Amino acid sequence: MRHFSIFISSIAMSAIIFTTDLPQDACVSCHFEIDQDKDVDERSLTNILDDIHIQKGLGCSDCHGGNPEAFDDEDEAMWDVDSFLGTIERVDQPQVCGVCHSDPIYMRQYSAHIKTDQVGQYWTSQHGVSLKEGNQNVAVCTDCHSVHGIFPVNDPRSSVYALNVPETCNHCHGDSEVMEGSGLSNDQYDKYRISVHGVALLDDMDISAPACNDCHGNHGAIPPSVFSISDICGSCHVNNKDLFKDSHLSDIFLNADLNQCEGCHNYHDILTPTDEDLLWNDKDNCVECHQEIEDVANKMGVKFNNIITELKSKIDLANEKVASAENMGMEVSDLFFDLEEAHKILIQTRTSIHSFNLEHVSETASSGYKSADAAILGAEKAMEEFDFRKTGLLIFSIILTMFAILLYLKIKSLEKNK
Amino acid sequence: MSLYNWLNERIALESMTKFAKKKQVPVFYGTVWYYLGGVSLFLFIIQVVTGILLILYYQPGATTAFESVKFIVSKVEFGWLMREVHSWSANLFILFIFLHMFTVYFAKAYRKPRELTWYSGIFLLALAMFFGFSGYLLPWNELAFFATKVGSDIAGAIPVVGDFLLRLLRAGDEVSGATLTRFYGIHVAILPAVFTVLLGIHLALVQSQGMSVPPEQEHLAEDKRKYMPFFPNFALRDLLFWLIILNVIALLAVFFPWELGTKADPLASAPAGIRPEWYFMFMFQTLKLIPAHVLFIEGELFGILMFAMGGIIWFLVPVLDKKANQNIRSKLWKWIGIMLVIYIIVMTVWGYMV
Repeated sequence: MRHFSIFISSIAMSAIIFTTDLPQDACVSCHFEIDQDKDVDERSLTNILDDIHIQKGLGCSDCHGGNPEAFDDEDEAMWDVDSFLGTIERVDQPQVCGVCHSDPIYMRQYSAHIKTDQVGQYWTSQHGVSLKEGNQNVAVCTDCHSVHGIFPVNDPRSSVYALNVPETCNHCHGDSEVMEGSGLSNDQYDKYRISVHGVALLDDMDISAPACNDCHGNHGAIPPSVFSISDICGSCHVNNKDLFKDSHLSDIFLNADLNQCEGCHNYHDILTPTDEDLLWNDKDNCVECHQEIEDVANKMGVKFNNIITELKSKIDLANEKVASAENMGMEVSDLFFDLEEAHKILIQTRTSIHSFNLEHVSETASSGYKSADAAILGAEKAMEEFDFRKTGLLIFSIILTMFAILLYLKIKSLEKNK
Repeated sequence: MSLYNWLNERIALESMTKFAKKKQVPVFYGTVWYYLGGVSLFLFIIQVVTGILLILYYQPGATTAFESVKFIVSKVEFGWLMREVHSWSANLFILFIFLHMFTVYFAKAYRKPRELTWYSGIFLLALAMFFGFSGYLLPWNELAFFATKVGSDIAGAIPVVGDFLLRLLRAGDEVSGATLTRFYGIHVAILPAVFTVLLGIHLALVQSQGMSVPPEQEHLAEDKRKYMPFFPNFALRDLLFWLIILNVIALLAVFFPWELGTKADPLASAPAGIRPEWYFMFMFQTLKLIPAHVLFIEGELFGILMFAMGGIIWFLVPVLDKKANQNIRSKLWKWIGIMLVIYIIVMTVWGYMV
């Protein structure tokens, strides 16, 4: 089996070397021959032809050093050259990649807006800090970006393309052996996968949904702290963040070292909140502080739920009435604007709960009631109009029928007289 | 001086009433067919009246047409009724013209000396269908837009004059606001004028030549034939039929209103299920079934040529059906008529089923 895989690899390598745009230098001329006799590391050579560095005209020596001009002389090509690095140690990777990627002048040739702070960011990350402390069991550049098959971040084949990020992170974070001793659990991916974000990203393929890096950062990946978590969630959920920060609970959470958003919504396994969540039960997160079931906060939750339930009922009723008027063929397209407005306010009302202010929630919902009422009123008017048309039709039909009967009698009388 | 006398002195009213009273309508099993022409005329009158009322509010143009129709059906008092009656009577108008044409055909009423009545009738049918085609686009909704696109594409496939026809219809290379304005002009000015003149000729011919009877009735001795006076007997029966039709239109208008749909967006992709008006469906379905190439010519072109040839033959029936002029029913032409009716019905139903 091993021989067979070597054989297949050899054929693959030959195919690569003869069909590729790889630089025809000393590195390629020797290493591809050598590798034909080795059990090739597929991961390292897969997609090498499409690697962004090869595409941009870089060669092996640009990362590994050596003299690519020295054909058929191993010493001159590698060992006698001061810059030769050979296999780059994990601990050296940030520095080697940073030679180019941290040089704004060099990188500007590829894009005017390209970032060059990756390495600096990396050293501030948990990965970088641990690496500096001598822990080599942490992610370095190639763990996330792959080796020799590196694609731009917006290429769907890239391991750091939005849809692939959770799997890439999980490659290490889901591995109990790798994570052993880190003090971290390895169930983040499983939790994320069922979350509202995971479903949106991985099932609905909505790349605007957050992956791991959107909350934890890219190169400067760190776990968000109590102080930053609401800012991180708030970078997307802006209104929720602002409302909560202005609420009386904001300081209470900070003083009690409670994570703000996470306190109610969890993290990683953030499920779609329901209106029923406002009605507490003994398993609810709120119970941890508000232990009395008759607590004033509990009553507030019930009131919030009542407001939303009432608005939902009104919107449902409006939808039903508008639909039935439309089914009767009435022109009700303007009412769909009211329905849309009411639905938008329902979402705003749910958001306004983060103010934990009954008056504010009630006020937000009131304009939703008005829009829903307008749609109901419009639909009822349309149905009245339909009834009017039916009545008109009935009267018109009766008159026509009577006229037709009289006409028929007249015709019969004419024919009888004849 | 009574009004009648006053008018009589000026427009010879008495001679007209004398003519109406003198005019006789044959009574036999097919007398009911005579009402179909009258109903078609009645529906045309409804079209004119409701059409004029709609013109008062309708605004042609890509940015105003849809909105103005929406305004008519939702804000204008009884505007909805005008639009519904106009749309329903348009469809019934074409249906009754078709029925009228086939009853005339099977009664052999096209035979000498009524060839001109047949020719003018066929032209009226073609104009009525063009009325429908041009009017369908006017609400400027999605379905109408793409149906017009498909319909004008078919016209564009006609050899030699296709490109010219396509540009003439569309007022450009694509269906656009310019097409809408052009269709509006055709629908409310050109077609009504031409149609009215031709209808006048058609009616004058019918009145001057009297009602035709089928060949077997022609063979009957004069004493065995039955008649009724046109006025008032037949005229009152006509009126009775019109009242029934008016009642049916009112029912359809209230219980089966026409959807306004969504506004046409020339940049949007065509929605599924685009189909023409029902009276074009048999042709549309046939074109869909014809293979891409028939012998050495394109399938669509082949279909158009077949329809053109069929139309010419149908138009020239008074010339081609030699036996009819001898008051003999030709089996060949009877079966051609029956097959044509079956073909139209089957293709239309098929078109709506797929």
